[in-house]
Amino acid sequence: MLDVSELVTTYGKIEALKGVSLHVAGGKITCLLGPNGAGKTTLMMTIAGILRPRRGSIKLEGAELVGLSPAKIVSRGIALVPENRLVFPEMSVRENLLAGAYQRRDKSEIAADMERMYARFPQLKERREQLAGTLSGGEQQMLAVARALMSRPRVLLMDEPSLGLAPLIVAEIFDIVAALNRDGTTMLLVEQNAHMALKVAHQFFLMEQGRVTFQGTPGQLAEDEVIQRAYLGTRRAG
Amino acid sequence: MDLLDLIDAAQSVADGLLFGSTYALLGIGFTLIFGVMHKINLSYAAASIGAAYGSLLLLSGFTAAPAVIVFMAAALCGGVIGALVYFIGFKFIPVANPLATLMSTVGLLLLIDEIIVHTTEGVPLAYPALYSDVVVRLGQFMLRGDLMFVFVLGCACMVLFLLLLYRTRLGIATRAVSQQPIASQLCGISILQVNVLTFVVTGMLGGIAGAMSGAAIGMLSPLLAQPLTVKGLIVTVIGGLGSIPGAIIAGLIVGALESLFQFLRGVTERDLYIMMLLFAFLVFRPGGIFAKAPGRD
Repeated sequence: MLDVSELVTTYGKIEALKGVSLHVAGGKITCLLGPNGAGKTTLMMTIAGILRPRRGSIKLEGAELVGLSPAKIVSRGIALVPENRLVFPEMSVRENLLAGAYQRRDKSEIAADMERMYARFPQLKERREQLAGTLSGGEQQMLAVARALMSRPRVLLMDEPSLGLAPLIVAEIFDIVAALNRDGTTMLLVEQNAHMALKVAHQFFLMEQGRVTFQGTPGQLAEDEVIQRAYLGTRRAG
Repeated sequence: MDLLDLIDAAQSVADGLLFGSTYALLGIGFTLIFGVMHKINLSYAAASIGAAYGSLLLLSGFTAAPAVIVFMAAALCGGVIGALVYFIGFKFIPVANPLATLMSTVGLLLLIDEIIVHTTEGVPLAYPALYSDVVVRLGQFMLRGDLMFVFVLGCACMVLFLLLLYRTRLGIATRAVSQQPIASQLCGISILQVNVLTFVVTGMLGGIAGAMSGAAIGMLSPLLAQPLTVKGLIVTVIGGLGSIPGAIIAGLIVGALESLFQFLRGVTERDLYIMMLLFAFLVFRPGGIFAKAPGRD
């Protein structure tokens, strides 16, 4: 569904992405693992159009996205839940969701989607008129996911949704990820929490220093000794 | 100080409050541009006076245009000048360089000033003072019709502006960009569109504020640009950079105190005390009237 090929993104002279290629299959959860500084967030920001790549292509069902503005990319059907959530702190929960639907004009459908979000995230319903900056971290993460869904994306990108959250909340977020996928949402998920990711993802890519160094299914990932040591911690080195 | 002096003092505070709505509008303009772009537009007050001149130019064919038309013409000119200021002074300057836009807006301030001086040869022009013959008496007080008109118009503009900002889709986009520019792009909001819109809307407010000061004073002079710039910036700082309710309240306070100090100490000392007020705020409450409690990220 989403094909990234030979993508190069630079910050000044530093290449953060050194020719990344990956494929996100429709209806599946694809997970991107990798240490800090591997270029995962850079990749997400490049797909969303916030960063411009030097070379390479990003195709959504065959249509090129490179060169489009972030707004155009949203209208093509890609939504990113950014790292650190980035909710609008001084807008209410309801206004955050409305901002997520900014490109849509179908008022009654927007209202219906909003009710769907409140049904899926009951905490948000309780706090619909509260300023987003006063929500807890977990609630803000849910709001960020709901806001992204308000644009009715075909592919949902999520950048470390578990970052800085308590284990119980992380489990809740992953339940939501699995539930969204069951409802047919295609997802590309960046995660450092490999244990949680193994439970939900269908396909894995490992990124290190701006390159994809491994790809495979959860089974293959769990069997790979190097990955076990580095990301799952099940066997001790040496 | 006897009773009559007290009444006179209260009278000047009332006059100042009414004229303060002009400062409030200018404060809103400065503060909104700062909120959205995190940059100061120093040419704003000069552009507002420019817009008031523009309305005279637009209506030069008509002998006595009704008040509504005069102010609409000023708003129109303000919007156009606002868009020009954005494209000349901001659009092509790197986002990460606030100092560069500060300098470019100083340049625009001087440019607008010079254009006014050269086209009018520096001679003040009469501006239609509206309802100046109306005087409302309330016991010992009298409220000048022209100042009341300015005040009511200023309040109406503020209400319309707040509705635009807090009740419309464009208002949500504007606040989204000012609070979290990256996330607003991820929501499909175009920052360029919001920036242009911000300059056009604040330009319109500025045009009305310029026309309001012209109407309250009864004339337009290029010499108005500098004090309005200073007062607008003071109002913005006292209100708290980026706070719209703060700008409104601070505008009224500065207007009232300015008039009171003028009554107590004379026109030459008046601005000294306003500067001291600014100084007191910078020392004791640098976040402005409505300094925010720090929230989560």
